Amino acid sequence: MKKLRWDSVIFIILITILGLTNLLNFNKPTVSVLENRALKPKPELTINGLLTGDYFRDYEDYYSDTFILRDKLVKTSKDFQKAMAFLGPGITIVQSVDDIQKPQENNLPDQSDKNIGNEDNDIIPDPASTPSAQPDTSDDTGQTGQNGENASPENDEMPERDFGDDPNIGYYLVIDGKAVQIFKFNKESFEYYAQILNKYREMLDDSVKIYSMIPPTAGEFLRLKKYAGITDSQNDALSYLESLLDKDIVTVNVYDKLNRHKDEYIYFRTDHHWTALGAYYAYVEFMETKGEKPLSLEQFEKIDLGDFLGSSYTKTLDKSLEKNPDSFIVYKPYTKHEFFKYDGKGEHKADVIDMKYKDSLTDKYLTFISTGGSTWSVIRTEVNNGKKLLIIKDSFGNAIAPFMLSHYEEIYIVDARFYNKNVTGKNIIEFIEDNKIDEVLFCIYMEDVNWHKFMSGVEGLLN
Amino acid sequence: MVFSSLFFLCVFLPITLGLYYVIKNRTYRNWILIITSLFFYAWGEPVWISLLIISTLFNYYFALVIERNRGSWKEKASLTAAIALNIIILGYFKYSGFIVDNLNSLLGTSFEILRFGLPVGISFYTFKTISYVVDVYRRDVKAQPSFFKLLLYVSMFHQLVAGPIVRYKDIDDAIDNRVESFEGFNYGVSRFIVGLGKKVLLANTASNVASMVMGNNYSRLSVAGAWLGILLLSLQIYLDFSGYSDMAIGLGAMFGFKYKENFDYPYISKSVTEFWRRWHISLSSFFRDYVYIPLGGNRKYQMRNLFIVWFLTGLWHGASWNFVLWGMYYFLLLVLEKTFFLKVLDRIPAVFSRIYSLLAVLVGWVFFFHTDIGQALTYLGIMFGINTRPISSPEVSIHFLNNAVLIIVSVLACTPAASWIYRKIKNRNKENEAGIAETLIRPAINIFILILSIIFLVGQSYSPFLYFKF
Repeated sequence: MKKLRWDSVIFIILITILGLTNLLNFNKPTVSVLENRALKPKPELTINGLLTGDYFRDYEDYYSDTFILRDKLVKTSKDFQKAMAFLGPGITIVQSVDDIQKPQENNLPDQSDKNIGNEDNDIIPDPASTPSAQPDTSDDTGQTGQNGENASPENDEMPERDFGDDPNIGYYLVIDGKAVQIFKFNKESFEYYAQILNKYREMLDDSVKIYSMIPPTAGEFLRLKKYAGITDSQNDALSYLESLLDKDIVTVNVYDKLNRHKDEYIYFRTDHHWTALGAYYAYVEFMETKGEKPLSLEQFEKIDLGDFLGSSYTKTLDKSLEKNPDSFIVYKPYTKHEFFKYDGKGEHKADVIDMKYKDSLTDKYLTFISTGGSTWSVIRTEVNNGKKLLIIKDSFGNAIAPFMLSHYEEIYIVDARFYNKNVTGKNIIEFIEDNKIDEVLFCIYMEDVNWHKFMSGVEGLLN
Repeated sequence: MVFSSLFFLCVFLPITLGLYYVIKNRTYRNWILIITSLFFYAWGEPVWISLLIISTLFNYYFALVIERNRGSWKEKASLTAAIALNIIILGYFKYSGFIVDNLNSLLGTSFEILRFGLPVGISFYTFKTISYVVDVYRRDVKAQPSFFKLLLYVSMFHQLVAGPIVRYKDIDDAIDNRVESFEGFNYGVSRFIVGLGKKVLLANTASNVASMVMGNNYSRLSVAGAWLGILLLSLQIYLDFSGYSDMAIGLGAMFGFKYKENFDYPYISKSVTEFWRRWHISLSSFFRDYVYIPLGGNRKYQMRNLFIVWFLTGLWHGASWNFVLWGMYYFLLLVLEKTFFLKVLDRIPAVFSRIYSLLAVLVGWVFFFHTDIGQALTYLGIMFGINTRPISSPEVSIHFLNNAVLIIVSVLACTPAASWIYRKIKNRNKENEAGIAETLIRPAINIFILILSIIFLVGQSYSPFLYFKF
């Protein structure tokens, strides 16, 4: 052959054009709307980065993250892979795309730029170096990860989930346009949970009531005929847990309640969280457990915020989910109240139902008391009954708190991932005692119970 | 830098090709290859480029000393010095930590040693330089009088970091007298794209599915899951590594170099002996030519020689006992085959000897993939039903069915099926020399694979080749 064959010609042209367009594309994106995460920023040229080679690795990541038409191409590759599964049973098990996930609870639109810059700090509350366990940080920059990069206190990052930590979490089952997290019973996780709560019981005064509420994953309520057994029974796990808990810790059995309502819209299809309705049923169960009368749903103002594509979608990018978005409904509390968040920089006023997120397709769950990375927050209501509740929670607690307003004078909220002893100057026991809190509710999602790092954060609050 | 990265594909490669072909002069072209290759290596391994250059420098020197002092004591002394230095460098960077750890645990001491990350490609380029010096000593090739031309051989980015272990004598002539042709370029592009597809479309996907099927600990692994997992890993390692070799050979061809094949469909072998003639050929032939035969080959102390070769082959793959065990496993199998089993394999129907070989290789990969030997044994226990585990699980059947297409395509990619079909089509068009196969079908498939690979690359995070850590 005396000339270049046409595939060689296309090869050369294609790689050159792609190279040039990327070079000339000065307006590189910083966030992937599709994956709902910040893209790798352009690395800074430092001597150290050059010598260790980190600079080059980061640069390659940055290059592919900001590749021209990236979102479209990523989607095409997902669609192609999906199409290749035509021999399959119409069910897929997806390991979440565990790239750097955009923090779930913050990323306030007005400060998004700053967040992106800090995105790769991976602030994981390592059990050994949870901020509260670091005695040497006397200033208020508490959320410093062990990597030494400083993060300002309001840098409210959701710690990246380390799926390597436990092999059995982070898997999604996608079936009939619905994504649910698969639950794998891990005995040690539940023993650890019980051990931690028992420790709280031991350290707290007997007058303080402790409630344990574990929202199950939606997988439990899916009727799988052929593939039953793919998720372990969460009910069994909860019964096992109950046998380990101190007699004076009250279990709030949201499982049975949700199970009775499983045909209703209690979980999102495209997000791992419960809907406001699901959270309402959990609230009802909580009140009934305490022997109080719950409010009826009709008493709240119902607002429909429209379409929602949540975490399960952004993690799986599954087309069947995209075609079938959730509808997002919130119930606005009518009890007069004020909501304050506290971090190293002081007090910030916020909304229990935060309408800032109403137009976002993927971030709507943040509408529910987005505590961000604040160390603690409090809702002070007009109710003058002197009752004070502390909710130690993950994001599941956000949706339930707005229903509680008429029952308490003060509702304190602490997310184990963000509590910082340097801000409050006290551990959680002292915090409870000083604020004269008389009820503590643990509202921790089943998968977070299974996630050792999260639970060690809960344990770390005691130090 | 890795071949399967967007940066390599869209920045490094077009620039290198452009510079190379704009200039006509042979010397300048060689310079461009040296500079781009050093940049390629420095990208990610900036410090150890010094080691690469030092290593080239003393091998260059000793080879010249050998050639200028034929018959004198200096000839042998230089050879010994060169080999010793190469082995010391490789040993220090690759095995010192391992040796110290083992000594410490054996003697209960706590010696410490300065530890470095393994410089990329060191296992490959030290073998290349050893082969060069030995070949000069054996008068198989003349010593290269120009340092920079030797540096070109050692550092050439096509085969610098993960093989094949190209011998200097095979490209000696090409350094000065290679002819770049359209035909060679077309072949190179074609070969590169096939390798890219193997790596990006098949190997990476197989690896993802394997990790989902197997999980991190094996507390829930079923028998079928264990088999599916190791099958996927076997597909992955072959497609990954042979894909890399395809890309290396293809890149070489784009610049006028012809490298020898590194793989020859190893999974269709009818014995383990045959498998090792078809797998990572440049490595096994290195051990054959520079260790096994000098030790006496099959003429004297064959057992000892085999033992040494397979101990070293295992150890070459990593400073960890599981690789040694993996090498010893093959030592035993090969001895078994040499003593009587090959004769049996020859007589039984080919399908049985193929199944035997494949099984033997799959079991071998279990040791290869588990640095923790206890975990490897657990895994084997699950595969062979020693640990009581369920036969299958819903996850395994979901994964299997969803990835059936991938598995079928990957399995076919391990066999000569595609090239067999291609030849059939090509031979039907005898009247037209070029033929529709050559002008239409092959280029169309190439472009399809290329575009799909780029799309997949964008969606995949950084995934270095498996053989980078060796």
